[in-house]
Amino acid sequence: MIYPEKIKAKKSDKIIKILMFVSACIAILLWVINKLTTPQIPWAALANGGIVYVWVIVIYSIRKNVNIAGHVLLQTIAISLLTVYIDYILHFKRGWSINIAIPIIIIIANVTMAILTIVSYKKYIKYAIYQLIIVMLSMLPAILMAEHIVPNNGLNISAIVVSVMNFVLCLIWCAKDVKDAVVRKLHW
Amino acid sequence: MKKEENGLYWRRLDNSAKIFPISTGKKYSTVFRLSAVLKEKVEPNILKQAVIQTLEKYKSFKVRMRPGLFWYYFEHNTKEPIIEQESDYPCKYIDSRRNNNYLFKVSYFENKVNIDIFHSLTDGNGGTIFFKEIIYTYLELMHPEVLSEDERHIRKIEYNTEDSYMKNYDKKAKSNASSRKAYVISGEKIRLGAVSAIHEIIDLEDLKRVCKRYNATITQYLTAVLIYSIYQEKYIKYKGKRPIKVCIPVNLKKFFLSKTMSNFFSYITLEAEPKKDNTNTFDKILEFVKSDFEKRLTEEEITKTMSANVKIGTNPFIRPVPLFLKKILVRLSYIEIRKYTTITFSNIGRIGIIGKYKDYIDYFLMLIAPEPVEKIKCSSCTFEDKLAFTFTSILQDNKIEKKFYEFLKEQGIKIQIESNGVLDDISREN
Repeated sequence: MIYPEKIKAKKSDKIIKILMFVSACIAILLWVINKLTTPQIPWAALANGGIVYVWVIVIYSIRKNVNIAGHVLLQTIAISLLTVYIDYILHFKRGWSINIAIPIIIIIANVTMAILTIVSYKKYIKYAIYQLIIVMLSMLPAILMAEHIVPNNGLNISAIVVSVMNFVLCLIWCAKDVKDAVVRKLHW
Repeated sequence: MKKEENGLYWRRLDNSAKIFPISTGKKYSTVFRLSAVLKEKVEPNILKQAVIQTLEKYKSFKVRMRPGLFWYYFEHNTKEPIIEQESDYPCKYIDSRRNNNYLFKVSYFENKVNIDIFHSLTDGNGGTIFFKEIIYTYLELMHPEVLSEDERHIRKIEYNTEDSYMKNYDKKAKSNASSRKAYVISGEKIRLGAVSAIHEIIDLEDLKRVCKRYNATITQYLTAVLIYSIYQEKYIKYKGKRPIKVCIPVNLKKFFLSKTMSNFFSYITLEAEPKKDNTNTFDKILEFVKSDFEKRLTEEEITKTMSANVKIGTNPFIRPVPLFLKKILVRLSYIEIRKYTTITFSNIGRIGIIGKYKDYIDYFLMLIAPEPVEKIKCSSCTFEDKLAFTFTSILQDNKIEKKFYEFLKEQGIKIQIESNGVLDDISREN
């Protein structure tokens, strides 16, 4: 006999699928309760935004071998979108998401990447492409300022300065790795 | 290897390899398997040691695949390979994230060692070289008193990872691809994604004797038996006009000088029309196969096929298309492209094992993954006095396999059957 007698059927991610279904049911239930009880306050939309955020993070995190810089990038994008969404649901009264939250998120992301660069510069080639994307995303406050969508406040300027400093640091520290990462990612 | 940066070298995919990760999914795994049935029970820890040692010699396999903006590329994999007891159907899709990022998977069961290889990594020839090294190393670790690596050193060849397609293709060669769609073997599929594997272990001396009688090579003869079996069991009832098209992969190292461990294969496609050409007896089919082989298996024809494929990969309008768009376009076009082949038959030929090592091996097997359109695929390899012809199938009926077996038996060839039992269960249920 050269094969096992009963070959197991492929294990599916059943638990994840069940939990996703439960989350979807909860989201619908919250929306219905919200509509029936307090339709003037969109609290269900806020809760459902949180559910989507949690799932984005969970699905990414349960994948094995995920790059830590990839996590930083994902969190930067996911939290930024979540804050804008919450702000939008609350009718953009103060625009706190783009004035305050996103600049803070950008500063934290850049500082995290700078620490990663210094602490593990030998592995920097793995982080380089994420670093470049974070730096590019960090230019968002500059664009918003140029378009007069956000004021030239200290927080926005700080976010730009920190991201430029981070970029300069990675160029000084690991220019060769950055170049190599760009070459391998963009080869055609 | 392309470059080495802090131990993280990378290299581009060769011209054939580029297409596999773009077109592959759970249903189209583009995985092939090599198995060695040993004469003793496999020791998992020693096997793992053997794989780790082999990877040190063949670094082109110690890689993971990463997406670039335009194409995938290989990057050094720092992790250890996973060795598991066989628990899934052969040639299933390799989810590299669950396999420490490796693009091959080594498994074992009782006396058998398997390696499932994603085709981007290498072709049947490269896979055989790598697998043989694993088996050699395993046997040396198991029997250090009898077997030693020193005995093999004299025969060692230095391999590389060059893209031999780019080196050998002809820019001016015109395409010889047929525009006719093929007859598609239909039938009810096996449930739950199961794959049936039926191995027909054929006595080589008997087979050679019959081939000599017909003045045919082994590949020609087996191809003819295959076409005849399809004709008798399926095609005879077919009312359409599409031909039986048999795709036969060709090792390009036999035509061009190359020491690459990357892919370097092409294929020829035989187009049989038993009804139209009145080639409905075995003798006539074999005559057709022999003449079609003669016509298509020439350096000129092979170069045309190879060059046409290289030109697609180097097309200046295709290269700058972002990877995610390439995936969508290739997957859509492959729904059609796959309809141009009825069946694939890959014969990797003799697996040569040196000296005393032979005493520990019973036979080798080769398997290729069936697909939703090409529901049956065939492969074969030879070791010592046995040729193992394998049918991998996702069809519930095994009439073609049975006809193939019965025909060889009628020819007086000794033949023995091994299988993974998937179709035995279905037969019992019915």
